[in-house]
Amino acid sequence: MRTALDRRYRDAWFLAAMTVVAVVAFRIVEPSWLNRHTLQAIITQNGPLAIVAMAMTFSIVSRHIDLSPGAMLALAGVVTGLVYRDTGSLALGLLASLALCLVSGLASGLLVSFLGLNAIMVTLATYIWARGLALGFTNGDPIVVDTRLTSITNHSVGGFTIVAPLVVVLFALAWLVLSQTRFGRYTYALGGDPVGARRAGIRVGAYTTGIFVVMGFATWLASTIVVGQLASAQPYAAPSLELDAIIAVIIGGTRLAGGEGSVARTLLGVAFISILNSGLLNLGLTDAYYQVYKGAALLGVLSVQLLLRRLAAEEVRRRQEAEQLLAEAHGYA
Amino acid sequence: MALDLTPATVAPPLRERARDAAEAFGTLAVAGLLLLSFGLTSGPFLDGTNLRNILVQITVVGVAAIGETLVLLIGGLDLSVGANVLFGSVIAGDLVQRQGAPVWVGILGGVAASAGIGLLNGILTAVIGIEPILATLGTFLVAGGLAKIVLHSSWIVVEAPFFADLVRTHVVWDLPLMVIVMFALYAIAAVAMRVTTFGRSIYAIGGNPRAARLAGLAATRIKILTFTIAGAFAGIAGCLQIGQLGIVSSGNAVGLEFQAITAALIGGLSVSAGGVGRVERTLLGAWIVGMITNYQTIRGIPPNYQQALLGGILLLAILADRLFRTRTT
Repeated sequence: MRTALDRRYRDAWFLAAMTVVAVVAFRIVEPSWLNRHTLQAIITQNGPLAIVAMAMTFSIVSRHIDLSPGAMLALAGVVTGLVYRDTGSLALGLLASLALCLVSGLASGLLVSFLGLNAIMVTLATYIWARGLALGFTNGDPIVVDTRLTSITNHSVGGFTIVAPLVVVLFALAWLVLSQTRFGRYTYALGGDPVGARRAGIRVGAYTTGIFVVMGFATWLASTIVVGQLASAQPYAAPSLELDAIIAVIIGGTRLAGGEGSVARTLLGVAFISILNSGLLNLGLTDAYYQVYKGAALLGVLSVQLLLRRLAAEEVRRRQEAEQLLAEAHGYA
Repeated sequence: MALDLTPATVAPPLRERARDAAEAFGTLAVAGLLLLSFGLTSGPFLDGTNLRNILVQITVVGVAAIGETLVLLIGGLDLSVGANVLFGSVIAGDLVQRQGAPVWVGILGGVAASAGIGLLNGILTAVIGIEPILATLGTFLVAGGLAKIVLHSSWIVVEAPFFADLVRTHVVWDLPLMVIVMFALYAIAAVAMRVTTFGRSIYAIGGNPRAARLAGLAATRIKILTFTIAGAFAGIAGCLQIGQLGIVSSGNAVGLEFQAITAALIGGLSVSAGGVGRVERTLLGAWIVGMITNYQTIRGIPPNYQQALLGGILLLAILADRLFRTRTT
């Protein structure tokens, strides 16, 4: 029977409860936190994280982890900025960074799917070289990109910028793709049983590559939003975006082992991380305490979720044993 | 029938040993070629002082990479190494400089603190069952944060002469003490991996966890011990870094985990699976990375582009691993 209180959803309910606990706790300590304005700010600031986490869901469900988005977001922004500065054309800049993101995603995908390289290691290399190039091209200085893009991304209707509807539309789209299309079904198949998927005639290489290209596109989109919001390209942008995205996906309940998960869970994870980050920073904590609390919260939630899953698995096993005993008893009767 | 464990049946077949030797020779050849080409294109590169400098420069990463290698061998991954090196150096520096403790207490405290983070990594991964990449990401935050808390958003200038002596005291061939410490640690680790039960258990668990468990190995305990030892190596690396820099600040050891992973991979550790690779070859990997970095600095290439090139080198190492190794296994 599939109900919302099904034991498979207990870890998600636990995370939702922890999100509420975090909100209440932060409100008690700092009553001015979380009014309409902070909520709007949280959504606007975490739009890029949500978009990358959406794509990361595809990566992790297919059993690959992509460490490239943070550094690549910075490099894409820098490329947009450099081309804009030298040619005066924003469109050309965005086109150049889009090409960079798609080609980099394609290259990683091909290396992983056709040469069998480990995705973490391939994208770790990207993480290192992309940040190096972003810093090298600019000497660490930001590039001003004050264009129509900024007025578009920062234009607000009732306090909400374009980021909120964009994230909603993207997640709805991602949910449709994962649950209703062949690409989605194959994404689960690749992660659940890669060998079986290949034997079933799925073109594993092509679909795996496609998932890395999706991440490239999402990174470019997030980069464009960041450049628009800041009216500049920052080589130090998004220092640990990929890690926050991975945490959001996993803490939402998608397994690192692949084959399971959903973007709805990821959205819950993004909400938790966003509220944790905003609340902790709002307490006026130094970077040091912020890090310790964030790490402890992450490890604590992960541990309890694992425990809940183990208990659920144990429950299933007991019930099956009981049913088997019952069946045997009937057989003897 | 009892399992026959006489050496004749345990020793690897000749072909495998030959492949092992060819691989080691390959990495050595790369190191030699780089040494030759760098020496020919840059005058000061082959100076004895410069080569000794490279050894000093790779010491901290090299020692931390021993721990990372053990963790990779057992099929894990440790992202907390950089933060843990900082944590160890902060505790040691704080004890010696601010609390006025004797040097040996400071070092013991620093190494114990880092080993504690390693122990936490082991418990989180082996007992609770969190994937290593996530568990060590959490402890990366915790260790880095704790280090900054102890630092009080400041820095510590460590004046105890012991640490400066690590660089100043020359032992043999004008090599500073800290380099000798690194060589000694590699020698101990290399021998321990071959002759102790613990060392061979790491290979067994990394190579085939299920078989190792069925054969009766206490996998959980060995994994916890491995992560703890890796933490201790990070602590030792932290103490050596005090000697190298003379100052402990929160910017130290940033990104060191990636350098350690790169060194282990260039040294020939298998990326996709645990149980393959040799600790001492990680030293060769660290030496290759050190030479390349040093050469670029001599040539005046800015650090940011050096980082970009390091990413490219890492990619090459992974490609080489795939092309030369997996074919035969």
